[in-house]
Amino acid sequence: MIKDRFGNLAYQLAALLLAFGVVSLILISVDASPSETYKNIFKGSFGEMRKFAEVLVAFVPLLLVTAGLLVTFSSGLWNIGVEGQVVLGAIATTWVYRLLLESGLPPGLIIALAILGGMVGGAIWAALAGILKVFGGVNEIFGGLGLNFVSTALTIYLIFGPWKRPGVASMSGTVPFPDEFSLPLLANLRISPWALVIAFVGIVVIYFLLQGTYFGLRLKAVGKNFRAAYLLGIPTWQYAMYSFLICGALAGAAGAVQVAAVYHRLIPSISSGYGYLGLMVAMLINYQALWAVPVALFFAALNIGSIQLPIVMKLDSSLSGVLQGVLVLFVLLAAGVRQKFGRKAQ
Amino acid sequence: MITDLFSTTVLIGILASGIRLATPYLYAAIGETFSQKSGVLNLGVEGQMLIGSFAAFYVAFTTGNLWLGLLVAMIVGALMGLVMAFVTVNLHAQQGISGIGFYLFGLGLSDLLFQRLIGNVETIKGFEKIYIPGLSDIPGIGQILFNQNILVYGAYLLVPLAWFVLNKTTLGLKIRAVGENPDAADSLGVSVARVRYFTIVLGGALSGIAGASLSIALLNVFQQNMTSGLGFIAVALVYFGAWKPVGVLGGALLFSMVNSLQLWIQVLGIPIPSDIAVMMPYVLTILVLVATVSRVRAPSALTKPFERDE
Repeated sequence: MIKDRFGNLAYQLAALLLAFGVVSLILISVDASPSETYKNIFKGSFGEMRKFAEVLVAFVPLLLVTAGLLVTFSSGLWNIGVEGQVVLGAIATTWVYRLLLESGLPPGLIIALAILGGMVGGAIWAALAGILKVFGGVNEIFGGLGLNFVSTALTIYLIFGPWKRPGVASMSGTVPFPDEFSLPLLANLRISPWALVIAFVGIVVIYFLLQGTYFGLRLKAVGKNFRAAYLLGIPTWQYAMYSFLICGALAGAAGAVQVAAVYHRLIPSISSGYGYLGLMVAMLINYQALWAVPVALFFAALNIGSIQLPIVMKLDSSLSGVLQGVLVLFVLLAAGVRQKFGRKAQ
Repeated sequence: MITDLFSTTVLIGILASGIRLATPYLYAAIGETFSQKSGVLNLGVEGQMLIGSFAAFYVAFTTGNLWLGLLVAMIVGALMGLVMAFVTVNLHAQQGISGIGFYLFGLGLSDLLFQRLIGNVETIKGFEKIYIPGLSDIPGIGQILFNQNILVYGAYLLVPLAWFVLNKTTLGLKIRAVGENPDAADSLGVSVARVRYFTIVLGGALSGIAGASLSIALLNVFQQNMTSGLGFIAVALVYFGAWKPVGVLGGALLFSMVNSLQLWIQVLGIPIPSDIAVMMPYVLTILVLVATVSRVRAPSALTKPFERDE
C-alpha cells in the first residue's frame, strides 16, 4: 500500500517534469527563455508578501471548489456545472447584501448571513443539475454546461437590469458596498484571514467526511458501483443528491468569498474559471483530499505568477493555462501508462 | 412604403447573418456528433477551435493564402484529436477531464502564440462571398442563402453528408455500434479503437475548420479567447440535436438566428433595453434545455472507455 503511494507519486512527478519540459520547448520555439520565465513566475508569486497574498486570494476559491468536487467525484458524478454554482453563490451573496445593508443589523452578522446565503445559492443551483440527472435522466455534464450558460446570463441580466448602477449600467458590475460590510483584510494586503479560515474548514470537513464517516463510505460505494450499492440497499439517488448539494454549497462559498472579501460587488466574470480549474486540481490529486492544499496552492501560484509576464518579458500570462493544460494531459498519460504497466506485472 | 422597404432589408440582413453565424457551430457540432456517436465525449472542442482559429489566421496573415490557412487549421485540429484519441482510447483517461485539459491548453497556447508572433490586432481579407449566377439573383432568398462565402456553404453541405455517412454507410453503422454496444461490436470483429480514433480525429479536424471559419471567413481577425464559449455551446448543441445531424442543424440555426437578431437590434438602436437583447441567446438556451429534458437518449457507451474482457 505504502509502496503503491510512492509509485503513484513517482509517476506524478515524472508527469510534472515532462509537462515543464514540453512547455519549455514551446517557450524556446517562440524565442523566450524557459529558465527566465519560470524564475519570473516564481518571483511573481512568492517573491514578495504582497504577491503571496494575491496567490492566497486565488487559492481560497480554488480550494473550496476542489473540496466540493471531491465529494461529487467520490459518488461518481461529473459536476461540470460547478462553474455556475460558484456564480450563483456570488449572486445569492450579493442579493443578501442588498437585502440587509439598510437593515441596521451588525455588519458581522450581515457578512455571515451573506456567505451562508451564497452557500445556499450554490447548493440550489447544484440541486438543479442533480434533479435533471436523477429525475430527468439528463447527463450531469450536459445539464451542467447548460446551467453554466444560464448562470452567466443571469449575472449579466442582473448587472444590466434590476441591480444596475444608478446612471449607466456597465461591465464593471453592481454598486460596491461599504468597506465595513466586507470580510476584514490583513493590514496592507488583499487577503482576508477569514476567507482562509473558511477554505481550510471546508477542506478539513470534506476530508473527515470522506475518510472517517459511514456517510463517506456509502458515498464512495455509490461512486464505485452504482448498481451494487443500490442492491445493497443504499438509496443511491439520495446520495447522488447529497453530493450535489454539498459540492454546490462549497462552490457557493467560493463565490460568496469572491463577493464578500475580494470584489465587494457582483461582476460579470465573478468565477473567473475557478470551477474548471478546480476540476483539474481534483483530478490531479487523484481525489485524495490531503493533496488538495499543495496542488491548489501550486495552481494559484502559476496563475498569479504569470500575471506579470507580459510586463517583464513580453510573454502572455496565458502561459499558466498552457502549463496547467499540459500538466493535466501528462498526468492522464502517466496514470494510463501506470495502469497498463501494473496490469502486466501482475 | 419606405419603412416597409427598410424592414424587408433588415429582415434579409438578419436571416443572412443568422445563416452565416451558424457556420462555426455546424462544423464543431457535427464533428462532435461523430465522436459522441462512437461513445467519446470530447469536451476539448473549444481548445481545438482556438488553436485552429489562430493557425488559420497566422498562416493566412503571413502567406496570404487562405486555403493553406484552412488546411493547416484542419491538420492542427486533427493532431490535437490524435492526442485526445490516444489519451482516451489507449489510456482510458476520463473524458471530461482530458477535454478540459485540452481546453486550457488551447486557450493558453493560442493566446501565447498570438502575443508572441503577431502581437496586435490585425485584420486580413478573408474568404470572399461567392456569386452564383441565377441563384444569387433571386430576390430575398438569393441574398439570404446564396450570397455567402465558401466555408458557409461547406458547413451546410456537411449536414446531409454527415447524415448519409452515419445512417447509410457501413462506417456509420460501425460508429453507432461502437457507441451503443462496444462489446457486441468488438465480438463481430469491429475494431472499437480504430473507429474511435477515426471519429475523434475527424472531430478535431472539423473543430479546426470551425475555428478557421471565425478567423478567416467570418470575422477576419484573431483575438484572445475569440471563441468565448462557442465550442462548449457546440457540445451542448449535439445534445439538443439528439445526436442527429439535422437536429444539430436546427439547434445551430435557432441559436445563430437569435444571436443575429440581437446584434441587429443593437446596430439599429431599436429601443429594446440592451440587457434584454444581450440575454436572448441565453434565455433560449434555458428554454431549449427544458424542452429537451428526457426527450432523447444518449449513446449507451458515451464517456465509457472500452476494454476487452480477457
